[in-house]
Formats: sequence, structure tokens, C-alpha cells
Amino acid sequence: MSALVSVEDLRVYFGDPAKPVRAVDGVSFSIHRGETVALVGESGCGKSVTSMALARLVPQPPGVYAGGRVLLNGRDVLTMKERELRALRGNEVSYIFQDPGASLNPVFRIGYQIAEAMRLHRRDVHFREETRELLRLVGMTDPDRAARAYPHELSGGMQQRAMIAMALACRPKLLVADEPTTALDVTIQAQILELLVSLQKQLGMAILLITHNLGLVAGVAHRVHVMYAGQMVEAGLTEDVLRRPKHPYTRGLLNAVPRLTGSRERLTGIEGVVPNPARLPTGCRFHPRCPYARDICVSREPEAESAAAQHEVRCHVWREVEGAP
Amino acid sequence: MTQATMDNMPGSGRTLWADAWRRLRASKLSMLCLGIVLLYTALAVYGEAVYRYHRIKDSTPSYQQVDLDKQYLMPSFLQNERAWTQHPLGTDGLGRDVLERLIQGTRIAYQVGIVTSLIAIPIGVILGCLAGYFGGRVDDFIVWLYSTFAAIPGLLFILAIAMVVGQGLLGVYLGIGLTMWVGLCRLIRGEVIKHKERPYVIAAQALGYGSFRIIFRHILPNIFHIVIVTFTLRFPASIGTEVFLSFLGIGVQGEPSWGIMISNARLRLWHGVWWEMAFVTLAIFGIVLAFNLLGDALRDAMDPRLRSGEEHA
Repeated sequence: MSALVSVEDLRVYFGDPAKPVRAVDGVSFSIHRGETVALVGESGCGKSVTSMALARLVPQPPGVYAGGRVLLNGRDVLTMKERELRALRGNEVSYIFQDPGASLNPVFRIGYQIAEAMRLHRRDVHFREETRELLRLVGMTDPDRAARAYPHELSGGMQQRAMIAMALACRPKLLVADEPTTALDVTIQAQILELLVSLQKQLGMAILLITHNLGLVAGVAHRVHVMYAGQMVEAGLTEDVLRRPKHPYTRGLLNAVPRLTGSRERLTGIEGVVPNPARLPTGCRFHPRCPYARDICVSREPEAESAAAQHEVRCHVWREVEGAP
Repeated sequence: MTQATMDNMPGSGRTLWADAWRRLRASKLSMLCLGIVLLYTALAVYGEAVYRYHRIKDSTPSYQQVDLDKQYLMPSFLQNERAWTQHPLGTDGLGRDVLERLIQGTRIAYQVGIVTSLIAIPIGVILGCLAGYFGGRVDDFIVWLYSTFAAIPGLLFILAIAMVVGQGLLGVYLGIGLTMWVGLCRLIRGEVIKHKERPYVIAAQALGYGSFRIIFRHILPNIFHIVIVTFTLRFPASIGTEVFLSFLGIGVQGEPSWGIMISNARLRLWHGVWWEMAFVTLAIFGIVLAFNLLGDALRDAMDPRLRSGEEHA
């Protein structure tokens, strides 16, 4: 299986080049065709910036692509010409965002917006039928009516469905879903996730799911990458990461998610907040909040190492974490 | 989803314009203003028709014909004779009918308002959009440009242009048109800066739309109400400027502009010839007031910020 996307040592900095804010600092991962990969982390850990970088969408300035490569089908997105980029966006890589109500243009009807997305990259298509087909595909009960509606006339869930229809207008190979359910209520969240899973089965695209909720990824993602302060701290198959977390941060995130089975423990949060990326701590970036921290964590930055088959972790003391109850 | 929720939900499709119209119609005052504006517009169109008719026939229109026997006739409705059809608003110092000249003045005023807007609005909108969206050097240059224009006293600038292109309507058009875009440009720039951070613009970029498509097809329709409101508010302002210029004698030449009428009327004002002055000022007062009130009402009807509060109430 060849990688559809492979990100190598990506660095995206913001602001003053002399004292850059290192929002994404050496992130590597890959996404295979038809696979779902989740990117998990708290707000401000760099997951959204990473996802925007896949189609070079981080605005410059203030953003700077300070290093690394983003290979999409073997071509480096970061060195493409503007024209090639535009041909790629919406066509090979599509995005859906957190707030569907604000992501649709308020002055145009849904059908028009979907047709416009289609028209940009495709020719000789019956736009009207195709639009109706797409709206049906994303589960609109009355596609004709939805096509005539303005965004504000739809509910949040419906808006997100319309947004997904727009993103799928050109049958992308990769769909980046940046917290697609955060703005929706819980029952709708489940519906949208189910929709994404079923669309992936039908259309065979890869999905990069970005979320801060580890509980969400369980039934959806094949692999999980956990980010902290601009770095990947743990990566592996979803099953492995959720069952046998090796990084104290992942453990902390899991403890913050309520479970249906097992003993009813008190949910514990992680002490403290994500460090300001302009003033990162020395050594391991997580050490000020880490219950396992020791001297080496303060003085030396850990490297990513392989903890098991297809399971990487960036921690000095992961063996201890793994063994802990 | 139940049928009930479906019925009042999507696809009933009132456009935003229809929505604004509904809001506007709710206020009696703004409908009155709209009526007055339409009345003036009709007069201007009628004036234009008369003007064209005489130009084609190559005849001197009655409002230009000097008849010294009819100097300073009172408005006919104040005279006891039944001369209503003669000169309802009286005549001026050369025996010309005030009403006819007033209508021609409306024609000139509309010409000035429309032509200056046609000059100022495209400049303001295009430069404002480019400055706001692209930022950086483009923004620096455009901000510098409009700051420079804004720093020159408007009247001096208009006088300078009138000197260069000569007296007459062309000087008025260019002078007013080239100063009027500044305010609109500033407004549009600010609004575009705000909108370019909105998720729908990011989403449009993520779909691969080009910059110009995003600016003019996606952002501009969202801020177009600003253009309309600015137009309604600037229209009477440029009419006022034209009156002022013509009054000073550097504006319209040889045609009955309101400014020229006021300038002429003041000569005999102290001898009790009040009607020309009175009716011209009344006409100007009416149009400026109606346009300004209408502009305010339009802003209330179309500004999404003012709207949202009511919508969710």
C-alpha cells in the first residue's frame, strides 16, 4: 500500500522569524489510500495548522513553512505553484471545518454553492442532477428542498451535511475533517461520524480526522496520532494506542474520557495548560504537567522511539508509564 | 424529520434582498422617503425628456427663453387671477418659469449624483477589496493613496480639477467623483479584512477558488449592502457639492442648475422676490432629507449585525 500523503519533518512557524512561534515542529506521518487517520490533541497543540498545511492553506504571513515536505501522490505541496495548488484544493484534498454555519457563504443557496465547487474542477457534468445526488448521498431527506435553502435555514447537522457534500463535489482522495462535530450536539455528532464512515466505504477516500476527543476516534480511525505542543508524542494503531497508551499525555487524555463499562472512577483532567509555543519548556515539552517527570525530562528532549510494532512514542520513561496501573 | 419541521424550515428561500425589503416596508417614514426619492427621479426623467426633445428639434426650450415682459411674476397660486396654468411657481428675473427650471435643476442634480457615483463606487470598491484581501504592500499603497486624497481639502481639490479640465460639468464630475471614493474604500477595506478571516472564506480557499473569485464572488456579495447605503448617503452630498460649485460659478454653465438659480435669486431677494430662492432651497432640502433618511433605513434593513438580534429574539 503506497502512501497517499506523507508528511516529513513538517515545521510551520508564526510571527517574528528571530523568535518564531513553533506551532508545528517536526511532525511526520503518512496517510494511506482509503484509510482514516486521527490527529488528537488539546487546543493549540498544532493539529489544525498541520492539517491546513496539507494543502498549504496556512496564510503567509504570518505563517512560515520553515521546513519539511508534504508529499501528496509523490509531489511536494510546499513547493507547488499557486496554480497547481488551486487545482489540488477541493479536487484531491477537501476540507470540512468545525463551524458549518460559518463555513457556508450566507448569501448563496446550498445548491448553488455545491454546483460552484463542482464547476471549478469538473466539466461536462449535469450539475443539477449531480448536486441532488450529492445531497442524497450525505443523507438529506429532501435534496431539492435543501438545494434551494440558504445556510441559515438549515440546522447545524444539516449544514455540516451540506458542507460535506461540497467537500465531496469533486470526489477528493483525501478529506480533512477539522473537528467536524465540535459545534454539534452529541446525537448529531454520532450521525455525522457514521456518515463519514459510510461515505468512506462508498467512495474510498482517505480521511484525516482532527479532534480533541480521544473517545471519538475509537470506532472511526484506523490509526491515531497524538500531538502535543507542535510535536507528535505518540502514534500507532487505534486499538494499541487506546488500550496500551505509552505516553503520559495520551494516558491523561484517556482518563478524561468517560467510559460506559468498568468501574466508575472519577474523571481526572491533566494539570496545567498547554505551554505557550513561544516559550516552550526545556527538555520534554510535557514535563511540567507530567506526573512521571524526572530530571532527564527537564534536561533532555526525548526522541521518538519505537515502543512496539507500528507504535511510536516520544518519552524517556514510557516503559514505566506502560507498566503503571 | 417530521413534516412539520420541514415545512417552516429550508427552501422557503426568502432571499436576503427580499428580507431587507420586508424590513424597509415596515417603516412608514422610510416608505415616504422612498416615495419622495421616486418623485424626484420621475421629475429628473421628465426633465431629461424635455431637454432631449428640444435638442432634437433644435429649438430653445421655454426654460431658457428670455421674456422681459414676464419678469418677476408671483407664483400664480398666490395671485387672485386664475392663472394657475401659467407659472405655478412664478418667474425669475428674465421671465423664465421657475418650475420648469427647477425640474431641469433636478435633471442636472441626478446627472451629477449618478455620474460621480459611477466614478467613485468602482474605484472605492475595487481598491478597498484589493487592499483588504491582499494586505501587505498592496494595502500599504492603497492606504497611502486614499490618505493622500483625504488629506487634500476636498473643495481645493475640486477647484484644481475644474481649473485643469475647464469649467462645466466634466470638472464637477471628476472633482466630486475622485474625492468621494475615499470613504467607501476605507469602509470596504475594513469589512474585507474582517471577512477574509471568516470560515466561509477559508472554506472557499480550501476548495481551490482563486483570489479574485473569492473577493468578488464570495466576499463582495456579503458586504454589498455597504455599497448601497454609501451610495444613498453620498448621492445627496454630491448634489450639495454641485450646487455649491455652481453657486460659485465654477460648476454648471448655461444650464439651470439649482446652484445657479440660488445665485441668481439672491440678487433680488431683498426686493421681495422670495419665490425662486424659497422653492429651490425647498427642493434641495427635500431631496437631501429623503435620501439621508432612506440611507439610514436601508442600513437598518440590510446590516446583518443589526438584523441578527431581532432574528433570534
